[in-house]
Amino acid sequence: MSGVFLARLGKLWLACILFFLYAPIAVMAFMSFNASQYYQLPFDFSLKWYEKLAGNQEIVDAATRSVMIALATTVIATILGTAASVALFRYEFRGKRFLQVMLFPPIAIPWLITGTAMLIFFFGVGLGRGTPSVIIGHVALALPYVIVVVSARLATFDATLEEAARSLGADSWTVTREVTLPWISSGVIAGALFAFAVSFDQFVVSYFLSEPGDSTLPVLIYTSIRKGFTPEINAISTIIIVVSMAVMLFAARFSNFGGER
Amino acid sequence: MSANLANQERLRIFGLLSPAYLWLTVAIFLPLSAMLYFSFLSDVPFGDADWHHTTKNYQAFFQTKTYATLLWKSIRLGLTVTAVAVLVGFPCAYVLAKTIKGRSREALFLLVILPFWSNSLVRIFSWAIVLRGNGVLELGLNAILPFQVDVNLMFSTPAVVIGLVHSYLPYVILTSYLALQAIDDNLIDAARSMGANKLTILWRVILPLSLPGLLAGAVLIFVPVVGSFMEPRILGGRVGTYYGTVIEDQFVAVFNWPLGAALSFILLAVVLLILAIASPVLKRAQT
Amino acid sequence: MAEVSVNNVTKTFGSLKALDDVTMDFPDGGFFALLGPSGSGKTTLLRAIAGFIFADSGTIRIGDQPVENVPVEKRDIGMMFQNYALFPNMTVSDNVGFGLRVRKVGAAEERRRIGEALDLVQLGQHGDRKPHQLSGGQRQRVALARAIVTNPRVLLLDEPLSALDKALRVDMQFELKRIQREIGITTIFVTHDQEEALTLSDKIGILRDGKMIQAGPPRDVYSNPADLFTATFLGEANILDALAGEGADIKIPHGFPTGGTLAVRPENISISQTEPTANGLSKCQAVLERRVFAGAMATCILQSNGNRIKVISRDQDIPSDVAEGDRLWLTWPVEKTLSVPSGRH
Repeated sequence: MSGVFLARLGKLWLACILFFLYAPIAVMAFMSFNASQYYQLPFDFSLKWYEKLAGNQEIVDAATRSVMIALATTVIATILGTAASVALFRYEFRGKRFLQVMLFPPIAIPWLITGTAMLIFFFGVGLGRGTPSVIIGHVALALPYVIVVVSARLATFDATLEEAARSLGADSWTVTREVTLPWISSGVIAGALFAFAVSFDQFVVSYFLSEPGDSTLPVLIYTSIRKGFTPEINAISTIIIVVSMAVMLFAARFSNFGGER
Repeated sequence: MSANLANQERLRIFGLLSPAYLWLTVAIFLPLSAMLYFSFLSDVPFGDADWHHTTKNYQAFFQTKTYATLLWKSIRLGLTVTAVAVLVGFPCAYVLAKTIKGRSREALFLLVILPFWSNSLVRIFSWAIVLRGNGVLELGLNAILPFQVDVNLMFSTPAVVIGLVHSYLPYVILTSYLALQAIDDNLIDAARSMGANKLTILWRVILPLSLPGLLAGAVLIFVPVVGSFMEPRILGGRVGTYYGTVIEDQFVAVFNWPLGAALSFILLAVVLLILAIASPVLKRAQT
Repeated sequence: MAEVSVNNVTKTFGSLKALDDVTMDFPDGGFFALLGPSGSGKTTLLRAIAGFIFADSGTIRIGDQPVENVPVEKRDIGMMFQNYALFPNMTVSDNVGFGLRVRKVGAAEERRRIGEALDLVQLGQHGDRKPHQLSGGQRQRVALARAIVTNPRVLLLDEPLSALDKALRVDMQFELKRIQREIGITTIFVTHDQEEALTLSDKIGILRDGKMIQAGPPRDVYSNPADLFTATFLGEANILDALAGEGADIKIPHGFPTGGTLAVRPENISISQTEPTANGLSKCQAVLERRVFAGAMATCILQSNGNRIKVISRDQDIPSDVAEGDRLWLTWPVEKTLSVPSGRH
């Protein structure tokens, strides 16, 4: 087999994968613009499902709540995560390795387990279900991502710059504000976008922690799906996927998780 | 000497780190401990419920075969999804890392992992539209093929596998791509200069060097799949009862939280065992 | 400007003694070198003076002030780093003015002093550039301007020239010396390059394994090394312990310590084909093994009674007809004999 043939075959394979990844999403988006309730072809363009969406107070409320929760999560997780990353980068101390390993469980343990554990604990301390619990959970899931992304950016930072600033008389806050933060700002922005995406797309933990009738968008979609499909779900799902892909595309511009640049 | 300064520094470290780690403790580590405690209770200790310490929740797992069978079913599902994702994803990562050059590589790579960062629930739902009877897949095939076929994959194990592979495929592509990209092209040229053919190079050079990344991807797929419940529910229908869905039921339908906690903890034990076995590999993949 | 004194400073990292009871004085206005191989503790000492490292015991004073409990940013020092550590997000002027802004000297004063400092390092026209637009030598000057613009009490340099190529390095050595003279600032710099240390400094401290082996003016240290390590680290030295043999006459200098070792530097030995007769010379015979021509200078490697001896001299001072394998006479003035107290090797 010639190298050229193999390379073509490889590219064909890649094209198939991309088709596999995007086709169902495309179909869903396509169907959300189809007038027929039962996905009948021929295609009849209509915005009626989107119009219906706007009139569905339950969905609008859930969407607003999801965005609010995601924004709160973003702000809290980005601030706490950046502070922790700076400390992990700047100082040498005992137990540092342990703290770094402790970031792993929230990412690696299936959300089913973390979600149910949070449900039990929040009930145990009297907080119960509801938006505060959801935010607490989302921040915990987003924190490790923020720390990983910001730390990756910090790894490219020359620590002697901080020493130089200190030798010139800058106190620790001035050093952070004038020297460290300007360098890692792109990483912080990427981390914030990751945090937003983690929260906005989060289903499992929200599912266990949100109150019935007061749920986030993904939870509402899940319960609607189990009742039966409607093209309205297509419409809102299409909106969600467009929003979260846009957020991640933006994040990709600020971090180099695409490997080398 | 300079005890003051050392103290100040300690205070600063504490001030920067404690908010994040306190949060993780309250939201992750204390809940996990609470769950362990709960799994040894007879009933929820809220209100005026009567409760005492017991091991019957764990006995339930070992006495009836139902739970063990379902756990095994979930593990088998995890193995199947992982195997399919690795077989499909590794060649794709290879093509990205070694065949495609320049700026298009970056764009294609982003395109491949972008879905991973979008809503998983919505993506699973999109498969429901494609796979259902009289759905897009059936209509599409019948439009192409000269004979009528009846494709209704919805509510079947293949549907669950397809949905999960779709969800987690980008993981293995991501980790394999990073590992493959780290392989110096000169190594491949060197092997060729010594007369090795493509297959030998693949087996003796590329695969061993990218194995840590590949295995890391496999573990990162296997673990969440074993704990999945939303995907089987939506795409599996009646055949979609897995270990994860049973745990879900304990919390949202049956309200037997202690049993749910015990089942969750057994799952956690399995997950931790797998992570522990894989940790040397994961560590190597990090570097 | 101020003097710096380091007294009995010890610092351990785990089981490693990075500084072991180090004492050295740095009088006001002087130019000092800390010299040693890598891992000798020279950088640790500099960082302890700067305040990045806190000693386990001992005292460090800048001026009259003990600084053990003073953090870096309050020590009023200027420091230059090996990689210059210029802030990449700031212009040259903003880099230089950073310490002034922190001290809140006011905008007009800040501009004036930035201008002065840049003029001093001959970069007056480059204030608006970003560091990445400068050459290595220019970056180095910016770093120097930034370190001195605040009129610090002491200037600390961590291998400041090691990133430059050889020609530029020699230029910068003179430049550095000129600026230091001009502003009269107490300057301490770390280097592993003994030539650089000898060229620049008024006083050298030689460190090894965390210990201060010897401190003194370059000429003293060079001609009276405290031990064999110093003798061989500061330039080369031929050990004369086992030199004997036919016609050898090794004179022992006055005040030679008991149990010491005799040594002589390669550039102090002369080569002749006939036995020299002058008084006050030590002499021995040796066989020429190899002669290496290097422009104006030549290096000869000789064997004498099982010892390898290295001689460096002007090429024209070596008789042109000597050939490898010839038996030659080596002589050196007795006062050029190094008497090295035997310590740890």
